[in-house]
Amino acid sequence: MLRPHSRSNFLSRTEMSWRDKIWQINWPLIGLLTAVASVGFITLYSAAGGSLQPWAIKQMLRFLISLGILLAVAMVDIRIWMRHAYSLFLVAMVLLVAVELRGTIGMGAQRWIDLGFIQLQPSEVMKIALILSLARYFHGATLQDIGRPIFLLPPLAMVLAPIALVLKQPDLGTAMMLLMSSGAIFFLAGVRMWKFGVLLAGGLGAIPVAWQFLHDYQKKRILIFLNPDQDPLGAGYHITQSKIALGSGGILGKGLMEGTQGKLNFLPEKQTDFIFTMFAEEWGLLGGLFLMTLYVLLVAHGFAIAVRCRSHFGRLVSLGVTTTFFLYFFINTAMVMGLVPVVGVPLPLISYGGTAMLSLLFGFGLLMSAYIHRDLSIGRRGGHDD
Amino acid sequence: MTFFVPRRPSPGIDAGRDLQAAAGSARLDGTRQKALDIGRGRLVATAGAFVAAFAVVGLRLVDVAVLDPDPARPVPHAEARTEALVMDRADIADRNGVILATSLPTVALYAKAAEILDVAEAATRLASVLPELDRREVMARLASGKGFVYLKRNLTPRQHYDVNALGIPGLYFEKGERRVYPQGNLVAHIVGMTDVDNKGVAGIERRFEAVLHGERTPLTLSLDVRLQTVVRNELARTVRDHRAEGGIGLMMDVDTGELLAAVSLPDFDPNEPPPATALAMFNRVTKGVYEMGSTFKLFNTAAALDSGRADLSSSFDARGPLKIGGYEIHDSHGQNRWLTVPEILIHSSNIGSARMALAMGGTIQRALLERIGMTAPPPIELPEVAAPLVPDPWRDISVATVAYGHGISVTPLHLLAGVAALVGGGEYRQPTLLAHREGEPVSGQRVVKPQTSEQMRRLMRLAVTEGTGKHADVPGYLVGGKTGTAEKAGNGSYRKKAVLSSFVAAFPMDAPKLAVLVMIDEPEANAVSHGQITGGWVAAPVVARIVAQTAPLMGLLPRREPAAGPKGIATSSRSGELAAVE
Repeated sequence: MLRPHSRSNFLSRTEMSWRDKIWQINWPLIGLLTAVASVGFITLYSAAGGSLQPWAIKQMLRFLISLGILLAVAMVDIRIWMRHAYSLFLVAMVLLVAVELRGTIGMGAQRWIDLGFIQLQPSEVMKIALILSLARYFHGATLQDIGRPIFLLPPLAMVLAPIALVLKQPDLGTAMMLLMSSGAIFFLAGVRMWKFGVLLAGGLGAIPVAWQFLHDYQKKRILIFLNPDQDPLGAGYHITQSKIALGSGGILGKGLMEGTQGKLNFLPEKQTDFIFTMFAEEWGLLGGLFLMTLYVLLVAHGFAIAVRCRSHFGRLVSLGVTTTFFLYFFINTAMVMGLVPVVGVPLPLISYGGTAMLSLLFGFGLLMSAYIHRDLSIGRRGGHDD
Repeated sequence: MTFFVPRRPSPGIDAGRDLQAAAGSARLDGTRQKALDIGRGRLVATAGAFVAAFAVVGLRLVDVAVLDPDPARPVPHAEARTEALVMDRADIADRNGVILATSLPTVALYAKAAEILDVAEAATRLASVLPELDRREVMARLASGKGFVYLKRNLTPRQHYDVNALGIPGLYFEKGERRVYPQGNLVAHIVGMTDVDNKGVAGIERRFEAVLHGERTPLTLSLDVRLQTVVRNELARTVRDHRAEGGIGLMMDVDTGELLAAVSLPDFDPNEPPPATALAMFNRVTKGVYEMGSTFKLFNTAAALDSGRADLSSSFDARGPLKIGGYEIHDSHGQNRWLTVPEILIHSSNIGSARMALAMGGTIQRALLERIGMTAPPPIELPEVAAPLVPDPWRDISVATVAYGHGISVTPLHLLAGVAALVGGGEYRQPTLLAHREGEPVSGQRVVKPQTSEQMRRLMRLAVTEGTGKHADVPGYLVGGKTGTAEKAGNGSYRKKAVLSSFVAAFPMDAPKLAVLVMIDEPEANAVSHGQITGGWVAAPVVARIVAQTAPLMGLLPRREPAAGPKGIATSSRSGELAAVE
């Protein structure tokens, strides 16, 4: 099929050259990501009492490596990602099962496979693979397809199988993330509202059953969330201390390295899941709102890229990545402010930790790839011109 | 979208466009149009949901950061007690219900020696399950033929089972309980401990022996382990960094006289106590008496102001050393000029304080010290208290030296309770270790006029903003206080290099809520203190760190200094010279 616009014709038919691709890199996106990550470096520097060791320096290194991976992922043609979406999903499933088997042999919640240089969390791989697979599945679907319940069964299985495995690890936070980001893709693909209603009702009905399978500590966290003052020094400790720290920061904050709740021993997990508290204590309300603005800009940027994609696949991948990123932010901040129960979800790009950073920037790499190849039309079965 | 420079005219949201293109139709049929509409609607709905979620988080952030007036009120929780086990001795808890001392059931193994059939065999078999027993000693005890001999106390359940399984006739178990102190060193000097017979031998355990035996509910102390932890951590760090002999840290609720934290270093672990003669067993807070040095200038000044013999604009001659009966009084930060009352505190002038004292006379000075309890042992619920060393008779030279805290020795608790009275509206409240019940009135004795208390608050704030206490300041918490650097007496004279560095403070100074005292015994100079060992360099920074960490826990939020604050009182026309002295 030919379009009158010569440049888009050129793009949709042939492979873009390296020069074209590099020319097309979305620098504002890279800038925003770096800005958010830099906030993280400063906060980690302060959390260590004004020292690059042990956190800030490693985090910077990880960011640089991940940024390299982002660019590499972005250079790969979006159609290649589409072609290999299902295989990637299969690999992720195999890894999840492998970790489950090993975890049973080992002790407690083993969620990663040690590859030596990095601890690979299959659930993180699954976050990416699921977005790609769902996007591919819905890419060629017409409205009539989506209207048929049978048509929705394969993707539903694709979502529920990994969630069941992740829940068994047990990792409530990641399971919730998978469920919610896939829900968003279903929604954006145009699945009818009443079907969501049916699923939601079924889910609510399953709560009493699911409750039986939760670990004691998970039950406790949910109960504590419903009434945090019940045990302020025990399981409610995180939240109480977190609120104290946020409150004592006031409007302008205490200043860099002046935070006390976070700095000393009061705030647990200050460098990982509760880092937002530490940041807001030192930089106050204004700092917190500034950081939020950066996140809003990033999410808006992701949306804008999605809107600009010509292919349905590119659009769904962009939206999936953006939604996942948004969910990270929302669940983490809502958690430290006592709006949702404590689940182990890091603050994206800021919390200390390697795998989440890697998988997030990998995701942003896909977003970038979608942007670079935004004018490609992709046919139903994945070819550019079938 | 304005995010990117469009490379071609884009018709805005083009969801469904590729499907439409793939179908190769130029015109939209009904289904395609519908798909496009749904896609667009869903995008807008998702974006809307994101905006709403961001708004919720943002509003909550504002709510938590600014609107929540009282973020830190832990609710006491009574469930912490073990319900099923009824113990002979009640628990001891902090003000929030955290257990400081509790009892565990144990059994003791004893024998009725006369009933043992084969002494040698019994001893061998006992030693096989209780290896820490000496077989020969057990044999000797069993052979004594007495009706009752202890073999071992505090058996674990496992050991209890093993001994039972031996089935030796003549062995019996006595039920008992053992005291456990979950906080270890943290509150050792206050809570004290029990001996092997579970009888209180020190601290609260000893003082409330009778009460603890009769009660079921925990004895609730005024201490707050959170504050205690902060004070102990900061104190321990400073003692270590300055290689000091020891340290004292106290926090008191100005309104009630409750001690919220009381630390004396070195301390000990009551679960494994050192010998009773060990230095660590000595509670400096209530049993140590010290010449406090310059912090006493607060009482001297308050007495002078309250009696009307001096006001804030009075000046005293500090041009040169003051000679009294063969003694000479010097200033360590000498200004060599006349000083006003505020300047005497800011520069910590010994000469000025002594002249002020001589001007008002010993009777007034002594009367105030008596009213704030400095002439009797501290009225605190501990057996370990010491009587102060008070000059007798109270001669002129005593009047002069007491003015700057020498020639009189009191406990750190005396000092803090006295300062709390000065800043707390002028009413002295007995210091206590028992939690004050909400709503119960606190009786206070008037020691100075409310107006004098107001003046003292301003002066103490000034000593921090302009004087020797600059390192105690914490932005937003209006810390006021006074430094003290007392040379310790030894070998018949004062030792220049062996000092007791202290800082006594209260905050926030416009309506003081907490009083803090930090004393470091014989600090060595280090790089952080710029080679200094004075209270302003060693103790004041500790107070600042304690205030910064504990104020949020007590629900005190940082505030901007009121415009009509302590700076309102000008010191003199020469206020340009009020540069930092230390």
